[in-house]
Amino acid sequence: MNGSDAREWMGRFFAAFDREQQTLTDLDRRTGDGDFGANLRSALGRARTALDATETATPGDVFDVVSTAFLNTGGTSGPLFGMWFRNLAKATRAPTVGVADLARGFTDGTSTVQRLGGAKPGDKTMVDAMAPAAEALAAATGGIHEALAAAAAAARSGAEATAELLAKRGRASYVGEVARGVLDPGAVAVALLVEAACG
Amino acid sequence: MSRRQFLNDPEHVVPEALEGLVLAHPGLLRLNPEPAYVTRAKPATGKVALVSGGGSGHEPLHAGFVGTGMLDAAVPGAVFASPTALQVSAATTAVDTGQGVLQIVKNYTGDVLNFRIAAEIAGDEGAAVEQVLVDDDLASERADGEGPGRRGTAAVVVVEKLCGALAEQGAELPRLARFGREVVGDARSMGIALAAGAHPGERAPAWELADDEVELGVGIHGERGIGRRPYASADELTADLLDRLVAALGLGRGDGVFVVVNSLGATHGLELALVHRAVHRQLAGRGIEVARSLVGPYVTSLDMAGLSITLVRADDTRVALWDAPVRTPALTW
Repeated sequence: MNGSDAREWMGRFFAAFDREQQTLTDLDRRTGDGDFGANLRSALGRARTALDATETATPGDVFDVVSTAFLNTGGTSGPLFGMWFRNLAKATRAPTVGVADLARGFTDGTSTVQRLGGAKPGDKTMVDAMAPAAEALAAATGGIHEALAAAAAAARSGAEATAELLAKRGRASYVGEVARGVLDPGAVAVALLVEAACG
Repeated sequence: MSRRQFLNDPEHVVPEALEGLVLAHPGLLRLNPEPAYVTRAKPATGKVALVSGGGSGHEPLHAGFVGTGMLDAAVPGAVFASPTALQVSAATTAVDTGQGVLQIVKNYTGDVLNFRIAAEIAGDEGAAVEQVLVDDDLASERADGEGPGRRGTAAVVVVEKLCGALAEQGAELPRLARFGREVVGDARSMGIALAAGAHPGERAPAWELADDEVELGVGIHGERGIGRRPYASADELTADLLDRLVAALGLGRGDGVFVVVNSLGATHGLELALVHRAVHRQLAGRGIEVARSLVGPYVTSLDMAGLSITLVRADDTRVALWDAPVRTPALTW
């Protein structure tokens, strides 16, 4: 994956988010306070504008721009995504990066999000999609396309599984049983992000 | 009854107010507009820098406490919302002169997360950063220790004053952080409201109270308290708060305390002074000495009618730090 591949990945992620934004907001209304879609939209809007205005060479440069846009966002999910991208950027400074670099970025990003946000897998948060995606990448043996496809499938099934979980962290923990049966919007956003990597 | 406010556009309240504050104190403050933070007009050198911040709507907190003897930078968020991690990290790196930065953070999920991220980013850029988490609000304490913990309220002003003085004396970062945490451990506050406040642009207060009740244990974000109690004389209401605070800190005969009688926004200086008299007399009755007091609007909650009382254990060292010179828009001696 080179810098322009990373840009295309982010472009597909922005488009997927535009498509799914209402779904994410509806999920958040049922589990949190309904501001997730709006916060994410403003972060991604900033990321899009900044990427258009910035020269980027490596994938790390692209992820730095996206990280900054998220770290400029209010709330708690935005800054956590910002730190995830920051770790991914640190692992992808070379002009062309491979599965091992991405796996390291995904793994470091996930553990940083867990450390800062205090969530573990099974707490009905974005971690429930991040962690399986990182594990799938780390376990991948084939080429980058197969590895990313496996990560995307893992992120999606992790996100789907949040429906049955009881929230332990984040906004949904305030509503308890009411959120059972509802997908976690943070985990769904992660699934969209990793799926967008597959082109 | 509908309530009116002095307002242009609700979206621009915070930047317009920051600009106005800095224009009022050109010799003391300087505004960095983007990302937004306020620093001293004349940066200090050769000392640990102090940075605090949090949602707006609590004025004069925090920008009103930037200056000699207190903060080096204050980072304001939107009304009742945390500043972003990038705002905080930018302010942190801007005021670091190589001695490190002490961040003073009120205990709210968003503030804690964004300051922690900012500390990591500033750390990557070479700044040594320590944090003091202020969690003095007794009403939000849970016996089982679950949940986000006690909220941070008016004790933050005492922490900023005492740590600010110690930093000016040249204390190193680890010692400052340790000292700040000790002060926090010895501080408890509790608030009481007669009427809720209204957000900028909203014509109605967040909730209504009957004429014969008061809201006990209110925080500083317009949320409801832990319950209602009957309205009563100032002496009686003061006693209700003091009993809880004295018990929580385990204060007894011969102990000394700092007292903050703090307006939550709309409560007048006349009422605050009268309540402070009650605090003084009731503590004296228990053999507890009031070492120093602050009486006024320091940590407000928009235009809420109400007040909070803060007690912090005082000793000779802390009193000397309290008495050290301070020159900020909201606190000067």
